[in-house]
Amino acid sequence: MKIKTNLGSFSLELNEGKAPISSKNFKDYVEKGFYNKTIFHRVIDGFMIQGGGFELDMAQKETHSPIKNEASNGLKNEKYTVAMARTSDPDSATSQFFINTSDNSFLDYPGQDGAGYCVFAKVTEGFDIVDKINSVQTESSNGHQDVPVETVIIEEISTD
Amino acid sequence: MRKYQLIKVDTSALFVSDTHLSEDSPSIINKFNNFLENHASRHDFLFILGDLFEYWIGDDANQFNSVVTTLRKLKTKIYFIPGNRDFLIGPDFLDKTNITLLKDPTLIQLGNKKTVILHGDTLCIDDKEYQEFRKKVRSDKWGKKFLNQGIDKRLEICKDLRIKSYEAQKSKSDSLMDVNENEVKKLFKDLSFPPIMIHGHTHRPKRHQYLFNNHACERWVLNDWYDSGSYLIWKDDQLNPKIL
Repeated sequence: MKIKTNLGSFSLELNEGKAPISSKNFKDYVEKGFYNKTIFHRVIDGFMIQGGGFELDMAQKETHSPIKNEASNGLKNEKYTVAMARTSDPDSATSQFFINTSDNSFLDYPGQDGAGYCVFAKVTEGFDIVDKINSVQTESSNGHQDVPVETVIIEEISTD
Repeated sequence: MRKYQLIKVDTSALFVSDTHLSEDSPSIINKFNNFLENHASRHDFLFILGDLFEYWIGDDANQFNSVVTTLRKLKTKIYFIPGNRDFLIGPDFLDKTNITLLKDPTLIQLGNKKTVILHGDTLCIDDKEYQEFRKKVRSDKWGKKFLNQGIDKRLEICKDLRIKSYEAQKSKSDSLMDVNENEVKKLFKDLSFPPIMIHGHTHRPKRHQYLFNNHACERWVLNDWYDSGSYLIWKDDQLNPKIL
C-alpha cells in the first residue's frame, strides 16, 4: 500500500494473516478510493497521527459498518505500526486509522479499557515522512484539539 | 457541619468555562494568563465553571505552573465548579491557587437576583452513555484508584481517552450532546425559579429565555476557548458576553 500525502509518500504492509478483518476492511476502503483527499486530522507529537475519516473541510465521511476488534491478535502498538481507531465501543472501527509514532504498549490488548487497539499493518518505507507529519504544528480548530495548522492531506492510497 | 453561606456579588463578577487548557496549546494558556492579569484582576469575583483544564491527572503531577502562579497572584476572589475534564482537581491545587471549590450546582446572588451556576454536563441527560461514564468516574472508588497509579500510567489513560473522545463526539447527533430542556426546567423549578442560570460544557454560547409559570428565567451558556477567549461579565445589574 502506498500512501501519497502532500508532505511525501510512505508505504504500508498489511498483516492479513494476523488481522484479516481489519486488513480486508482497509483494502476495501482503499479500492473504493475512500481515503483519497482525506486528512490526518489529529496529530499528537510523540504519540500518534490519526486520519482517514475526514475531508479537507473537516466534514466526516460516511463509512461502512463497523468491524470486529482484532486487538488480541498479538501484534503490538510499536513505533511505525498502524492500528484501527475507534470509539469507546471496542467493535466500532470503521475507516479511521492511526500510525503509532512511539512505542505505545499501553494501547495493546487489553489496554486501558479491556479491549485495546488492533494493529493491522506497519510502515515499511518513508519513515521520514511519518516523522515529518508527527512533528507538524497543531492547533485547536472548530472545537477540536491537535489539528495540524497546515492541513496534512492524504492525496491517494493505492495498492502498489 | 459548616453552615452554607450564600455568595453575594454586589459589584462585578466574571464567569468563564471550557478554557480546556492543555500543555499542547501554549497560546491558549497565554491567553488565559492575560485574561487573569488584565481582565479578572479588575473585578471582585471570578467564577470558573469547569473544564479549566483539558485533563487534570492529579495535583501531584505539577502541571500548568504558569497558570498556578498567575492565579495565586490574583486578588480577585476565585470560585471553581469542576467540569468533566478536571473533576480530579484536589485540595493541593486549590490551596496553591487560593481557589474556593463550589458544588455543582451552586446558588449565588448577583445584585438582587438569585443565580444558579453549574458546569452543565448534568443537564445533558439524553446522552445516556456519557451519563453512565460520568457516574463511574465521579465515584470515590474510581478517583482513588486512578490517583493511586503512577503519573505515567495516568497519562497513558488520558492518552487513550484522547484517541477516543473525538470519535465518540462525532458519532453522536447534535441534540444528544446538548442540554435536555426538561432537565433545565426541573433544575429551575427545584431551586424555586432563580431568574438566572449560567453554565458551560456544551460549547454553544447563547442566552436562552424562558417563562415558567410566570417566572421569567434566563439561561446563559458560556463559550469555549478553542477559537478565541471569551467570558461573561456581571456589572451594573447586567450580564454581557465579551470576546477577548
